[in-house]
Amino acid sequence: MISRWMYISLVILFGFLLGPFVIIFMASFGANANLAFPPQGFTLDWFANVFETSQFIDSFWISLQLGLSSTIVSLVMGMPVAYALTRFQFAASGMVETVFSAPILVPGLVVGFAMLNFFVLLGDMHVMTGLFIGHTAILFPYSVRVISASLRNLDPYVEDAAVSLGANRLRGFLLVVLPNMQAGIAAAFVLGFITSFNNVPVSLFLSGPGVTTLPVSMLSYLEYYFDPTIAALSTLLVIFTVLLVQTAERVLGLSQFV
Amino acid sequence: MPHLEIHNLTVSYEKNKPTLERFSLNVEQGELLSLLGPSGCGKTTTLRSVAGFIRPDAGRILINDRDYTRLPPNQRDIGLVFQSYALFPHLTVFHNVAFGLRMRRIPKKEVHARVANALKMVGLEDFSDRRPAQLSGGQQQRVALARATVIEPQVLLLDEPLSNLDARLRVDMRQEIRRAQQQLGITTLYVTHDQVEAMSISDRVVVMNQGKIEQIGTPEDIFAAPETAFVADFMGFDNHFSAAVESARDGKLTVNWGGAPIELRWHSKFSAPQPGTKAEVFFRADNARLSAGTEARGLAGQVILHTFHGNERRYLVETELGEFSIMQDSAGERFEPGAAVTVQAQTQKWIAIFEEMEQYA
Repeated sequence: MISRWMYISLVILFGFLLGPFVIIFMASFGANANLAFPPQGFTLDWFANVFETSQFIDSFWISLQLGLSSTIVSLVMGMPVAYALTRFQFAASGMVETVFSAPILVPGLVVGFAMLNFFVLLGDMHVMTGLFIGHTAILFPYSVRVISASLRNLDPYVEDAAVSLGANRLRGFLLVVLPNMQAGIAAAFVLGFITSFNNVPVSLFLSGPGVTTLPVSMLSYLEYYFDPTIAALSTLLVIFTVLLVQTAERVLGLSQFV
Repeated sequence: MPHLEIHNLTVSYEKNKPTLERFSLNVEQGELLSLLGPSGCGKTTTLRSVAGFIRPDAGRILINDRDYTRLPPNQRDIGLVFQSYALFPHLTVFHNVAFGLRMRRIPKKEVHARVANALKMVGLEDFSDRRPAQLSGGQQQRVALARATVIEPQVLLLDEPLSNLDARLRVDMRQEIRRAQQQLGITTLYVTHDQVEAMSISDRVVVMNQGKIEQIGTPEDIFAAPETAFVADFMGFDNHFSAAVESARDGKLTVNWGGAPIELRWHSKFSAPQPGTKAEVFFRADNARLSAGTEARGLAGQVILHTFHGNERRYLVETELGEFSIMQDSAGERFEPGAAVTVQAQTQKWIAIFEEMEQYA
């Protein structure tokens, strides 16, 4: 039985969390030329404008490519690390875990600035390569964490059981461990992709002429225009993210790993 | 010829601190042998060495006269049952049990027949489509047993298989494991820290301590006649005291008990002790009787503590030979803390152990 006060504070909390989305959502249909609330009239022009603005379309594809490639690479690199951290006790395992979570703990702006110094100013690196390395680095700890969680749920002796039944180590891993990591890997994929797709601070520093991610190009659009196009785009992104997470939750039970 | 031979096995995880030191053991064809001991005594290390997961520093392991010492674990033909069951969570009961047969590339038809047989043996023929998570602990361990035996291994190894089950289920599963083992006639090594479990399931028991064998024998032998103080303590001899041997003949020795001699047996493995030899006398809580007052023949004492256990009462009694824990039928007289009592020795099941014995053993 939820008491009245708990009920009220719950409503306030939800209002606080979801309110901005509601405002953005409504504003994206408003006919005013400036972002305003409450909106007046109804139009889908701003949505049309999103698809007509080449800056958004280009950066969307860059964000998509970047999200997919850096997520996949961070997963491939994170898997053996997660496996080693959960299966073996070694002298530096505590330190390794801390070092790998550093990009989560350090503010994004600092990470971005450090990478700017390292890749762009020192290395004269191609912008896309710099973005890819930067995103892979920030996703890597998420991959390690989420895959580790799925491995910790698995009895370490199942591998020994498989080996005692005649499988070599590799087959034991492929037939017994990997199938039980599947959900964790998929969860890490969704989480990683969303993290990369939404990232601003690191992308801000590593973007370059003609190569910008979607959130960064939204930010720069806002500097010149203050019309509901951004609200329309935000609405589209929220729908995209919610669908992605919903599907993942439905199919994989994402919440048990995060 | 023994079916499983372990020769001078030495395993160290840390330098100069061997977990097992020159450990030798023979297991006969079809025998169930328990390795019994406290945690850290080397019993699981022995088992994992036989399974091939630990590479020994020295020594040899032979099965059927074939050298297994350097053979990788997946080529050993050994069935393994774990404390945590270690079932494959993503596979059904059927596919769990079939796993070992698949690895051996057995034709599909035969796999079906053998899995069905194995599941029938453990009474789970109706559960073949379930996932492990849908089974109780006891059922999971049955699946693990079926999975380990369906491959008809040379040797079956069980590592504390009942420790995760509740007390009542443990007794049932014990009988079930024993029945299956005898039905299949499979040579079995059984690791446990529970002396009751070891005694009830085994043909022979090995009591281990600090990487060495303290005593090997039938459950009856070890229960009645421990050779060392460690075994006596581990096999549930609740009480012990030091005494000097007064005389020894005809297989009986005498020591002083409250001013009068009592006759005790010692392990037949050892020769008669000289008078004056220091002996450690062991007895269980239920092999002594209490009577009120100090007039009767026996050892005078005072009750310190009384606890009630349903069918019996347990008393802690302080005497000149030390504190003894003594069990009495709860239907009899009740003694309150502080009461003066006499402890009367019922010596048929008592045993005297000599210090020299331990050195010889």
